[in-house]
Amino acid sequence: MVGVAYDCLANPLGAVRSSFEKVMASDSDLASFDGKDWGAIDLFRNFLFDQSGLSQVPILNHKTIKWVQPNTLVRFRGMIQDMLGNEFYAGAYKDGTVWRTNKFMDVSRFPMGSSSDMRIWERRLIYCVPVPGQNSWTESEAVMYRSVDCEFQQRDKRPRSGDEAIDSMDSLVSSDGFQGSPSAKKMRENEHPSQATQFQESITGSACSSSSWELNIDRDSLSCIVKIYDSPESDLKLNEVFEFVGVLTLDSEFQVDKDEYDEFSNGFGEDALVHFPPNKVPRLHCLIHRKLAVHDLLQHSPMMEPKPDLVKGIREALLRHLTAVLGNDDLAAHFMLFHLLSRVNSRVDTVAVGKLSLNLTRFSKESVSVFGTQLSLAIKNLLPFTHCLPLTVEYLNTASLAPRKDYETNRLTTGVLQLAEGTHLMIDETQLQSGTLNSVGVENARLLKYLMEFQKVEYDFKYYKMEIPADIQLLILSEGKSNILPADLVLPFQPSSVGSSETVPTEALEAWRWYLAILRSLPHSIDSEMQKVIENDLVEARQADRSLGSQDFSRLLTMGRLMSLSLGEACLSLEQWQMVKELERLRRARLQLKT
Amino acid sequence: MNDLDFKEDKARAVEFLSNFTDVNGDAKYLDILQEVANHKIRAVQIDLDDLFKFLSEEFFRRVTENTRRYIGIFADAIDELMPEPTEAFTDDDHDILMTQRSDDGPENMDGSDPHQKMPPEIKRYFEVYIRAPSKVEPFTIRQVRASDIGHLVKISGIVTRCSDVKPLMQVAVYTCEECGFEIYQEVTARVFMPLFECPSKRCLTNRTKGNLILQLRASKFLKFQEAKIQELAEHVPKGHIPRTMSVHFRGELTRKVAPGDVVELSGIFLPIPYAGFRAMRAGLVADTYLEAMSVTHFKKKYEEYDLKGHEEEQIARLAEDGDIYNKLAQSLAPEIFGHEDIKKALLLLLVGGSHKKLKDGMKIRGDIHICLMGDPGVAKSQLLKHIISVAPRGVYTTGRGSSGVGLTAAVQKDPVTNEFVLEGGALVLADMGICAIDEFDKMDESDRTAIHEVMEQQTVSIAKAGITTSLNARTAVLAAANPAWGRYDLRRTPAENINLPPALLSRFDLLWLILDRADMDSDLEMARHVVYVHQNKESPALGFTPLEPSVLRAYISAARRLSPSVPKELEEYIASAYCSIRQEEAKSNTPHSYTTVRTLLSILRISSALARLRFSETVAQSDVDEALRLMQMSKFSLYSDERQKSGLDAISDIYSILRDEAARSKKMDLSYAHALNWISRKGYSEAQLKECLEEYAALNVWQIHPHTFDIRFIDA
Repeated sequence: MVGVAYDCLANPLGAVRSSFEKVMASDSDLASFDGKDWGAIDLFRNFLFDQSGLSQVPILNHKTIKWVQPNTLVRFRGMIQDMLGNEFYAGAYKDGTVWRTNKFMDVSRFPMGSSSDMRIWERRLIYCVPVPGQNSWTESEAVMYRSVDCEFQQRDKRPRSGDEAIDSMDSLVSSDGFQGSPSAKKMRENEHPSQATQFQESITGSACSSSSWELNIDRDSLSCIVKIYDSPESDLKLNEVFEFVGVLTLDSEFQVDKDEYDEFSNGFGEDALVHFPPNKVPRLHCLIHRKLAVHDLLQHSPMMEPKPDLVKGIREALLRHLTAVLGNDDLAAHFMLFHLLSRVNSRVDTVAVGKLSLNLTRFSKESVSVFGTQLSLAIKNLLPFTHCLPLTVEYLNTASLAPRKDYETNRLTTGVLQLAEGTHLMIDETQLQSGTLNSVGVENARLLKYLMEFQKVEYDFKYYKMEIPADIQLLILSEGKSNILPADLVLPFQPSSVGSSETVPTEALEAWRWYLAILRSLPHSIDSEMQKVIENDLVEARQADRSLGSQDFSRLLTMGRLMSLSLGEACLSLEQWQMVKELERLRRARLQLKT
Repeated sequence: MNDLDFKEDKARAVEFLSNFTDVNGDAKYLDILQEVANHKIRAVQIDLDDLFKFLSEEFFRRVTENTRRYIGIFADAIDELMPEPTEAFTDDDHDILMTQRSDDGPENMDGSDPHQKMPPEIKRYFEVYIRAPSKVEPFTIRQVRASDIGHLVKISGIVTRCSDVKPLMQVAVYTCEECGFEIYQEVTARVFMPLFECPSKRCLTNRTKGNLILQLRASKFLKFQEAKIQELAEHVPKGHIPRTMSVHFRGELTRKVAPGDVVELSGIFLPIPYAGFRAMRAGLVADTYLEAMSVTHFKKKYEEYDLKGHEEEQIARLAEDGDIYNKLAQSLAPEIFGHEDIKKALLLLLVGGSHKKLKDGMKIRGDIHICLMGDPGVAKSQLLKHIISVAPRGVYTTGRGSSGVGLTAAVQKDPVTNEFVLEGGALVLADMGICAIDEFDKMDESDRTAIHEVMEQQTVSIAKAGITTSLNARTAVLAAANPAWGRYDLRRTPAENINLPPALLSRFDLLWLILDRADMDSDLEMARHVVYVHQNKESPALGFTPLEPSVLRAYISAARRLSPSVPKELEEYIASAYCSIRQEEAKSNTPHSYTTVRTLLSILRISSALARLRFSETVAQSDVDEALRLMQMSKFSLYSDERQKSGLDAISDIYSILRDEAARSKKMDLSYAHALNWISRKGYSEAQLKECLEEYAALNVWQIHPHTFDIRFIDA
C-alpha cells in the first residue's frame, strides 16, 4: 500500500488510509485530530469538485443498489428523517508501532488488540429516507460508470456459510485467546492481507447475488443510515434534503439475529442494528454532504441568468398552461402561479412570512375528478416534491399525521406531515362527509390547521411536543370555504371549459421547472416610497373594511412580492402593486358573487 | 498513574473522611459511617463540594476525571474507618454467612490465590456515591462528548423509560465439590463467564478439576435498574431531535425515577464494551451509558426555585430600579403590541396575592383569576401561551381538553391491574401553578360546574366509582373566551356578549375585553409593522429590551416569598373605596357588575400582589390605588361605549370627578398627585387630565399652580 494514488471512486478507504499514513508519517500530533479532519476530506473535495468527479459517482437508489459495490464511493440523496444520536468508535489505534485509523468504516481492516492504544472518536448517525413525494422526473438515470460483471464475480464467490464463518470465528478466538503469543500474531499478520481481499470479494459477490439484499426494497423505502464525521451539528437539520457522498458499507456479517440479541441483553433492545438490519438499510460513511436546493434536482438545468424578458416569456407560457389546466379560469391561474412560487422566507415572532396557501372553492365531486386530477398531474410535473391528501372523516380518524417518538424502539415514527422543505401538499376536501371525529381526528384536524396558520408541525414526544418549522405549500380543493383549513387565499373556481389534456413538450416543462425553482429564491425588496404607498393603501382598505387584519395585510404584501418575482424583478413597482390590487379586487368580486 | 499514587490518594481519602467537619462542626462522614455500621443506611454519599473545600484542586480534578477508580479508593478508605456498631441489629442471612466466613478464615488461607481471597465488596454493607458539585451547570445530553468518557458529568433531562428493578450479581460465590472451598468471582459487567473448574491450590495440585456450584444465597447482588433519559425540549437546537442516553441505577438509587420525571443526574459516563459474539461484529463501536451517582428531581414550584448567584444580583438591581412594575409587564409577550394594562394584570396573576388561612380553618385564596374576552385574532391564545412559558408550573389546555380526564379529574380503570385509579385533569396538574384555559366558553357542562369549586375553594371533589376524595387545585386560572356570537356585537349588551353565567364571572378578579376597534392610528401602526416585517424580515425594534423569561421567573419567585399585610391605616381607605363602588352601583339603574365581598377580596389580593412586586412586607396606599385603577380599567374595557353614550365626554367627566372629590373633602385645594390618582382610578389618562385642567382653567373654574399644577377651585 505505498505510492499508489488510490482510486477515490473504487477504493475510497484506501485513499483515506494512505492520507492518514502520510500525515502520521510527518509526525503530527494525533490528539489534534480529535473531531477534526487530517486532510482526507480535502482530498475528496478536490477529486469531486475540482476534477469534477462528482458526476461519476453513482447515485444510490433502488435500481443502483443491485450493482453498486460496497466500500466504494456513492451518492445518496435523501431527507433527514431521524437522528439516532452519536456513536463512539475507536477512531485510531496503535497496531504494533503504527497508528491506523478506522474512520469511515464499520469494521477494522486489521485486527485490534484490546490492549492497544486507541483514541475514541465520535460520529453522528442520521437516518435518511428518500424525499417523501419526490416526483420521478427528479431522478436521474443511473450513471453506469462501470459495467459490473455480476456473473464473473459470482463464480468467484466462496460458499458463504462454510469456511467464511469459520474464518471469522477463528480470528475472534485468536484475538481473544492467544493475545500474548507472538507466533499467533505473526501468523495473523501474514494472513490478513489475503483474508481481507477474500472478505471483500465475498461481499461483492453477495451483493450481486440476491441473498444479501432483500430485494423487496421498493422505490420509496430505500433508506440509509448516514454516519457524519466532524461537521458542526447545525449543518444538518431535520427534514432537510441533502446529497451525501460517502463510502457505502454493507456487511452481511453484521447481521443481528433478533432472538439472539434479546437473549444477550436484558436492556431495551433499542440498538440500531436490530431495527435497521444492515441487509436492508445500507450504511453510508459520509465524506462530503451538501444541501440540495430545488434547482439542484433539475436534470438538464439550463444555466441561464434570470433575465426579465426571458422570464416574462416563460411566465406567459406557464400561465397559459395553468389557465388551460384550470379550464380557462385566468384568475385562478394567476393565483395558482403565486401559490406555486411561494415559500416561507422568514419567520418573525410567530408569523411565517411568505407563505401563501390557496383554497379553491366551488368544487364538486364531479369537477374534482376532472380538474383535480389534471391539476395534481400538472403540479407533479412542475414541482419536485408533491403530496396529496384526501380529507375524509375516516382518514382523519386513522391517519397519523404528526411524527411521533416511539420510545420502545427509540425512533421517530414518521407521519404524513413530515415533509421536506418546499413540498407541495394538495388537500382534497370535497370527499369530506359529515361524521364524528374521534380524539385522533380532532388532533389531526388541529395539526393541519396549525400547519396552515404557522407553518409548523408539532412532533409528539409523549412527554412534550416540539414544534418543528415546516415550509409546505398548501392547496385545498373544497366545495365551500374550508373552515377546518383556513387558507390565506380563498378563490371560487369558475371553469368555463373542460381542461384540455394537451401534452406539454419536455423543453417547456423543463423551462417551467427551472422558472419555479430559481425565481422563488430570488432576493426582493420594497423601496421606501413604495412602502409609503402600500401603508396608505392598507390603512385605507382597513378603514373601508374592518374585517381586514394583519394577516390580510401580510398576504397582500406577499402577493406583491410574488408578483414582481414572477416577472423576474427584485423590486416592487407601483404598476405591479396595482396589478396585485386588481387581482385582489377581482377575487373579492368573485367571492361576493353567489352562485 | 501508578499504584503509589492511588495509595497516597487513599490516605488522603481517609484523612478527608475522618477529619471533614461541616458548618456545624460535626464530623459529617464519620456520623454517616456510624449509621452504616448500625445498618441504618446503606448509601455513603461523598459530596464533591465538601471535597473541594478540604483537599487540593488537583485531587478534586483526579476524582472527577477518573471517578470509578476513586469510588473504589473511597470504599477502601471506608473499610479502614468503619466503626464498630453501637446498636444491636438483627442479623440477616448475609451477616450469619459473614460470621461463618470469618470463623473459617484462618484455616482456609492457603496462599494468595486471588479467587479464594474474599473480595472486599462482599463484606461491604455500604455503597459509595460521589456527587457532583451543586454549583456546576448541568450539561445537556448532546454536550457530553467522547472526551468525557470516564468523567463525572452532570446532566439534566426527562426520563422516558424505566426497566424493572432486577438483581445484578456483584460477587459470585461458588463452592467446590472436591475441596469445599468457597470461591469468589467479582462481576464487573452485566454478562460474565461463570467458572467451572475449581482454581484453588488444593484442587490444582491434586488435579481433581473440582466441580463448582454457584451459591446464590452466598453471592452478593445489587439492585439494578436501567432507564433512558431524553433531552428537554428547551435544550434541543432548532431543527434537531432530542438525544437520549441510557442510565444505569444501582443499589439505593433504584426506584428513584419514573417515566416523565424531569431530573438532574450526576454520574459517570462510561462505555459498555460489547460482550460475546457482538463484540466481534460490532468491533469498533461502543455503546455508552451513565452510571448514576445521584438523582435530583427538578423543582418546578416557585417556592422551591433556587436562585443562582448572578440572578440574585440581577434581581437586586431590578428592585432598585423604580419602574420595575412597568418593565416587567412590558417584558411579558413583548412581540404583542400594546395592551399595557392587560399585561400588568397578567404580571399580577403570575405574582399572585398571599394565601391566608384563618384560625377557624377557612382558607382565603391568594391566586388571582383573570378572564380575557375578545374578538378572534387579538392574540389571546398567544398571551396565554406566553404566560405558561414564563410560569415555572403551568398547564395550557382548551375548554374541550382533548383527554378524557378533562379539566378536573376522572376515575379510570387501570388497564393492567383493573383497579380504579384517580387521574388528575389540567387543573389538578397545575396545582400551585397557573392553569390557562383557552376557549373557556366552549367548556363541557360537567367541567363548568366543577370549576366553580376550583376557583373559590381551590379543591376538586370527586365522588365516583366508590372513590370520594378531594384533590388540591391551588391554581390561578387564566381563561380566554370568545364572545357569544364569535365576534363582539356592539349592538348588544356586554352581558349578552359574554356567554358565561354571573356566578362564574364573579369569581374572576379581573375581566378584560379586548376589542378590535376602528382607529386610524392603530391601523397605520399595524400596516407599518407588516410592511416592515416583509421588508426587513424581522420585527421592528421594541424601543426597550425585554427581560429574559428566566429573569422574570427569578424575580417573580423572589417576590412570591413575601406575604405582605395590610396596615391598620389603610383599612379605612379600602373600606371607603369599596363603599363608594357599591354606592355608585346602587345609583346607576343598569348595574353592569355585581360588587360583592368577592370584589373587596379581589382588591386586597391585587394590592398584596403589587406589594410583593415592590418587595415590601406591607401594602401601601399606592398599591390599593393601582388595584382600583386596574379594576376600573377592566370594567371600562367592557362598558366604555356606554359611558360615551351617556353624554359625558372624558373632559367633563374628569371635571365632575374632581369637583365631587373636592366637595367631599370640603376643601378648595386639590393637589395634582391626588387628582391624578382619582382620575386614573376612573380610567382616564394623565394627558386627559391636563387637557381638562387647561380647558377649565380657561373658563376660570379653577386656578392651576404654574409649577406644581395643584388645583384651587374658584368659588362662584
